[in-house]
Amino acid sequence: MGFWVTSLIFLLAGVIGALSLRLCCNRGPSTNLLHFTLVITATVCCWMMWAIVYLAQMYPLIVPILNEGE
Amino acid sequence: MADRGGRGGGGCCPPLDLMRSEPMHLVQIIIPMESAHLTVSYLGDIGLVQFKDLNADKSPFQRTYANQIKRCGEMARKLRFFREQMLKASISPSTTPMTRNNIDFDDLEIKLGELETELVEVNANSEKLQRTYNELLEYKLVLHKAGEFFHSARNDAAAQHRDTEARQVGDASLDSPLLLEQEMQTDPSKQIKLGFISGLVPKEKSMAFERILFRATRGNLFLKQVPIDDPVKDPVSGEKIAKNVFVIFYSGERAKTKILKICEAFGANRYPFMDDVGKQLLMIDEVSAKIQELKTTIDVGLLHRDNLLKNIGYQFELWYHLVRTEKSVYHTLNMLSLDVTKKCLVAEGWSPVFAANQIQDVLQRATFDSKSQVGSIFQVLHTRESPPTYFRTNKFTSAFQEIVDAYGVAKYQEANPGVYSIITFPFLFAVMFGDWGHGLCLLAVTLFLIFREKKLSSQKLGDIMEMVFGGRYLILMMAIFSIYTGLIYNEFFSVPFEIFGPSAYACRDASCRDATIDGLIKVRRTYPFGLDPTWHGSRSELPFLNSLKMKMSILIGVAQMNLGIVMSYFNGRFFRNAVNIWFQFIPQLIFLNSLFGYLSLLIIVKWCTGATADLYHVMIYMFLSPTDDLGENQLFPGQKTLQLVLLLLAFISVPWMLLPKPFLLKKQHEQRHQGQAYARLQTTDNGSLEEQDHDSHHHEEFEFSEVFVHQLIHTIEFVLGAVSNTASYLRLWALSLAHSELSSVFYDKVLLLAWGFNNVIILIVGLIVFIFATVGVLLVMETLSAFLHALRLHWVEFMNKFYEGDGYKFSPFSFALLAEEDE
Repeated sequence: MGFWVTSLIFLLAGVIGALSLRLCCNRGPSTNLLHFTLVITATVCCWMMWAIVYLAQMYPLIVPILNEGE
Repeated sequence: MADRGGRGGGGCCPPLDLMRSEPMHLVQIIIPMESAHLTVSYLGDIGLVQFKDLNADKSPFQRTYANQIKRCGEMARKLRFFREQMLKASISPSTTPMTRNNIDFDDLEIKLGELETELVEVNANSEKLQRTYNELLEYKLVLHKAGEFFHSARNDAAAQHRDTEARQVGDASLDSPLLLEQEMQTDPSKQIKLGFISGLVPKEKSMAFERILFRATRGNLFLKQVPIDDPVKDPVSGEKIAKNVFVIFYSGERAKTKILKICEAFGANRYPFMDDVGKQLLMIDEVSAKIQELKTTIDVGLLHRDNLLKNIGYQFELWYHLVRTEKSVYHTLNMLSLDVTKKCLVAEGWSPVFAANQIQDVLQRATFDSKSQVGSIFQVLHTRESPPTYFRTNKFTSAFQEIVDAYGVAKYQEANPGVYSIITFPFLFAVMFGDWGHGLCLLAVTLFLIFREKKLSSQKLGDIMEMVFGGRYLILMMAIFSIYTGLIYNEFFSVPFEIFGPSAYACRDASCRDATIDGLIKVRRTYPFGLDPTWHGSRSELPFLNSLKMKMSILIGVAQMNLGIVMSYFNGRFFRNAVNIWFQFIPQLIFLNSLFGYLSLLIIVKWCTGATADLYHVMIYMFLSPTDDLGENQLFPGQKTLQLVLLLLAFISVPWMLLPKPFLLKKQHEQRHQGQAYARLQTTDNGSLEEQDHDSHHHEEFEFSEVFVHQLIHTIEFVLGAVSNTASYLRLWALSLAHSELSSVFYDKVLLLAWGFNNVIILIVGLIVFIFATVGVLLVMETLSAFLHALRLHWVEFMNKFYEGDGYKFSPFSFALLAEEDE
């Protein structure tokens, strides 16, 4: 799975999360917008973390060097 | 304030919940005297009005309802007395659900008075009885101990007597000393009648007592002390004290008075004692009978008191609640000002706009219920004062809002960082606390708290427990995010798992000789989710993790600081403050991103291309010699031009932030002055009146130098802060590294070491040490430190970009809040 595919999965997860929250607890437009904001923020945070770690390993400048003992 | 209607996201979206505090207005309520009490107590029930003190200049005694407050205070005192008494008798007030308003206040006052008198009387009686009882007990002890002593002394004396007589009769040899006979023969004829006093003295005073007696009588006395086995209750103080029974023999009246005085001074209780054995026995019998009698009397008295207290206990909570609410109602009534006609009370206070209907309903109901002829009048006042800040939080959001409020209560309707903190706070925490094993432990704890929420919220918890319970949803979010970041870091109690497919790294060849020297090579696609498990335990793990986590900290930090600056844009738009948008928000955004945004870009480009450029070098020489060629450090074509442009932008944005705003503010101020002159001539309809009010507020002197210095400080703070705040985000790296290193030390050096011994006992000991270290150090201390660092990153690095936090909290008059405060 490449970078874009997984990013798409994150996006989908965000959309599904936002939709399900909208369907499960519909409490007026203001609260729904708050829920939406929270889901989007959470998705962005999680995606960013994943993307950073993924990109850092894409072209490794240093590679794992095993310990002597192992 | 004129643009209250303009809240929300520019018309396209509904207003975001929690982003802005509730719109408030100042209301005036004119209440007829006869329905005032009921109205205020109804308003206390809904708890949506914060009354202003309109009698601030009056002392508490000058106010209208000072007398009633005094009565309430008196009743509260009585109730506290009852509670003390119940506590002493270990009777807990029953927690039956309360049914309100069927007790009349005056009746209650009389009833409480009666109960108090009765209780005081019962207590006084029982105290008297108890005292007599304790005295008798002491007397009995004296009789016993002194009796024993006299008995043994008499036996000794008799034995001695027999001895001498035997000797006198037996041998009159020459050896016997002559004086002995004389000595012995003083006995019967020349004996002086000695007086004696018996009693009890506290053990710790006994030595001093003896010494003083000895000195006072110059040694002309005989003192015998016997300690009592069990401590006895002192009749005067009612406390248990270890005591000695004493008997003092003395001669002469003068010695007696002295001894009596000393006894008094030492708190030694004296009891009469008979020389005669028969009388002694009689006395003991008599005392024992009396003790029996008193005991039953006391028991009956106690039973009576317990019954009385139990009866009080049934209704105690109800009464207490009533008195408390009554007192608060009168207290509030005291804040209202009396109308000139003395027929109405005028109340002023803040209330949320949404509550206007509710308040009017309540007012009507109160008028109806109190059968008043005239209704209350409710009207909205216009004011220049800044309203209080009121966020409608629920049990989930309240903990996050608390975190923000702890820094400073938001200015009225200012953008609330609490909205984003709900996600970013636990996220930053989790970046430092990434381990899904530890995250699961946290989750278990917090789920336990959440499932037992109903039960736990009703009972009293300890200080720390209370805090943890209050933040249970915060901890829940922290736990969920730690599990996520733990999966990214691929650490489960520091152990990696190959959950998301095989590792991307493998040996260069089949023999795997190079693996420990040159390392493995990447043979597959990048590990799809999180860190490759092969890194764990390798020699290059630390350099790799350091590089990764440091860059991650900067990327996350720049993202969050940008969010903070964008929030200042929302504030500027909401308050229609174009100056802040154009001369604060835009240059700030440009400055931050032309330096650290560019750094973030470089980091990403370097990762995506796998280039070996040295980013430190690039950043440093961007300032030192921006025109030089980048050489091998060039990451993309046109980089030099871009750097020059960015540098130029950064340099421009500093004076952009600093200079125009003070001048523009000055110009605005002057314009307003002129405008005001015109406004005076206009017709005075409602709208322009308000406008005038609004303007005259700003009429105060415009100190240009002050505004300029203020802006200078702001600019310097931002420019320096951009560097230091970015550096501050490196704590994410430091703490997450510390966490993973600590947990791997505990795993390797404790658990694996113990496992290696192949011994069950060592394994168990190792396991116990591992568990305690994990819980104590990683789950408690690390959670705390990561929490504090996340707190700091929000309070300082995020919130100083936009948050003023100089508002004051809405504290309505509410019975529900009253109960909380009391606990």
